[in-house]
Amino acid sequence: MKKQTLWYWLFLSPVLIALISVVVIPFMFGLYYSFTDWNGIQSTKFVGFEHYMEIFKDKEFISSLWFTVKFSIVSVILINFFGLSLALIVTQNIKTSKILRTVFFMPNLIGGLILGFIWQFIFIKVFASIGDLLNIESLRGWLSTPETGFWGLAIVMSWQMAGYIMVIYIAYLENIPQELLEAAAIDGANSFQRFRYITFPLVAPAFTVSLFLTLSNSFKLYDQNLSLTGGGPYNSTQMLAMEIFKTAFSENQMAYAQSKAVIFFIIVAVISLTQVYFNKKREVEM
Amino acid sequence: MKSRKFFLAIFSLFLLSSVSLFGCSSSNTSENKSSGEQVTLDIFQFKVEFKDQFEKVAKQYEKQHPSVKINITTVGGGEDYGAALKSKFASGDEPAIFNVGGPQDVQDWLGKLADLSDTKAASLALDGTLDGVKRDGQILGLPYNQEGYGLIYNKEIFKKAGIDASNIKSFADLEQAVKKLNDEKKSLGIDAVFAFPAKETWVTGLHLSNAFLAPEFDSNVVNAFNAKTVNFEYGNAMKKLIDLQNKYSVQPTVSLDYSQQVEELFSTGRVAMIQQGNWVYNSIADIDPELAEEKIGILPIPIEGFKEDSIPVGIPMYWAVNKNKDEKVVEEAKKFLDWLYTSNEGKDIVLNDFKFIPAYKEYDSSKIADPLSREIYNYAQQGKTIGWVFMGYPTGWGMDKLGVNIQKYISGKMTWDELITASKKDWEEARSK
Repeated sequence: MKKQTLWYWLFLSPVLIALISVVVIPFMFGLYYSFTDWNGIQSTKFVGFEHYMEIFKDKEFISSLWFTVKFSIVSVILINFFGLSLALIVTQNIKTSKILRTVFFMPNLIGGLILGFIWQFIFIKVFASIGDLLNIESLRGWLSTPETGFWGLAIVMSWQMAGYIMVIYIAYLENIPQELLEAAAIDGANSFQRFRYITFPLVAPAFTVSLFLTLSNSFKLYDQNLSLTGGGPYNSTQMLAMEIFKTAFSENQMAYAQSKAVIFFIIVAVISLTQVYFNKKREVEM
Repeated sequence: MKSRKFFLAIFSLFLLSSVSLFGCSSSNTSENKSSGEQVTLDIFQFKVEFKDQFEKVAKQYEKQHPSVKINITTVGGGEDYGAALKSKFASGDEPAIFNVGGPQDVQDWLGKLADLSDTKAASLALDGTLDGVKRDGQILGLPYNQEGYGLIYNKEIFKKAGIDASNIKSFADLEQAVKKLNDEKKSLGIDAVFAFPAKETWVTGLHLSNAFLAPEFDSNVVNAFNAKTVNFEYGNAMKKLIDLQNKYSVQPTVSLDYSQQVEELFSTGRVAMIQQGNWVYNSIADIDPELAEEKIGILPIPIEGFKEDSIPVGIPMYWAVNKNKDEKVVEEAKKFLDWLYTSNEGKDIVLNDFKFIPAYKEYDSSKIADPLSREIYNYAQQGKTIGWVFMGYPTGWGMDKLGVNIQKYISGKMTWDELITASKKDWEEARSK
């Protein structure tokens, strides 16, 4: 038994050391810096919780936090809705399902920055020309107001992530025993009832994973935000990650930005963990 | 079985130790080889656009001065030069020549900057170009080049509309011309008069505001840097120009960016005027060489109540010499910079290879490569310039505060008075930190 634990730690150690040296130690350093007046070169004094007190009076931070929350709620719903729908489509017995899977997954292979620029072109140019052609006022001037910027981001995000989440749902959908569904069909359950009472509870573990992934990804979004709207107009579509980056690198307030990042980390961790906890409780054991 | 386990253990231990030791391989390659009179100049510079030409020039200089060896490192473009320079110094491998941007940089690097007032280049630098790097009678930097911006216009469109650009001498004249262009926009074949890129907060928050804030700081970047407050003395004139550009621009302006403004709209003749600087020449030349060569000119930014005929011209970056280096190295560094900017050979390179607008006297302006630069150099020689004070704004204020407020104003989320009050407050807050 004793020998086993030795082997256990020995084989774990490469990963553990890597993790400690690139994640845990820098995180500790960051935590320390957030309590000082660090400016990127040196820190001269310990300021305690000063930065943390300031954050809650920082209008920019609060408004980008609020924007991020709204965005996350909308995109989590959209991504999971589309992801599950796509998964249901491609698990039906249709001829093209293999190709469709590839096609739906494809957007996920494009880097976020490029994706942002492509969609910027679509929103600004393509939407505008369709709007001109059909005389639809609401298609003109996309990304120039906070509302269109918000929906633009939500559309891009769900377009990209839906395919990825689809793959997770497919894995669980294909694991559902056919006997259950057949038995239910013989008992007279219609297709909605079969979905609601059999499929849905059995893919619950997939919800846990998918919600966790989409929630944390939407919360931490940076690259699409940068390339699609750049936070504009007037910083109204600026998400948390971008706000922190700006504080650090264009206003040069490193320590203050670091304390924002700590708050950011706590928020993401708390939301994700509570979500996982509650979803785990709901899962059905086979 | 047992031996296999043993082997595995050894193997994993070996792997572990190699991982942990990997980070410790230190490099001691940066030692100065001062034997045999050989002097090495490490140059750490930021201008990516002329990297190749600059390296070629260094080779040329090495050939003529066999005792000097030049190493050039370029970090710039999308990279953060300031951060890279900090880490370069922190690593102990200090460069001999590097770049500083303005008063803030001079302040930060004060302990490293050698006095360059005994160089020939410093004595030939144009008036006012050294303001940002003077400290206690010392000159701590030498200007790279000059850059200027104004309202770049399409001469052909102006001609078609019957407007003589040389008659535009005030804001009122400009407004009249803009209205005329706007009325005839169908027959001229343009989408709008301006392309006003409010998305690019550097165009509005730095460049545009600079013209209207420079008077209250006497066009001197150091005054701006030391100012605890900002008054917007010419705020109304600034409002008028923003309103004019915004009203007669391709809409919506808050999502209009630099490449749309310069490449898509101006280079293709879809707008008549843009507020930009000499750096757009290459972009325009890529799309329409004829337009770039012959059909563009530059108009001053009119500041009502102050100067209405001047162009904001400034120095984007300075060369600095590291005084902590060997005396011999410092001496050679100065010689190299002198050679680059004051020898006939160097002048030729600066004009033709670098395509710079020189920041020094005794250059033949007719040899400046592109027409925009030529016009700007002429303005500079006639003294019709306004300084660049935006390098002295509080960090981030111009783009992230004022530029963003201008976006809000344009979108109707903020009145002009609110913009002035908020921007003043932001300035004071940044200065009191």
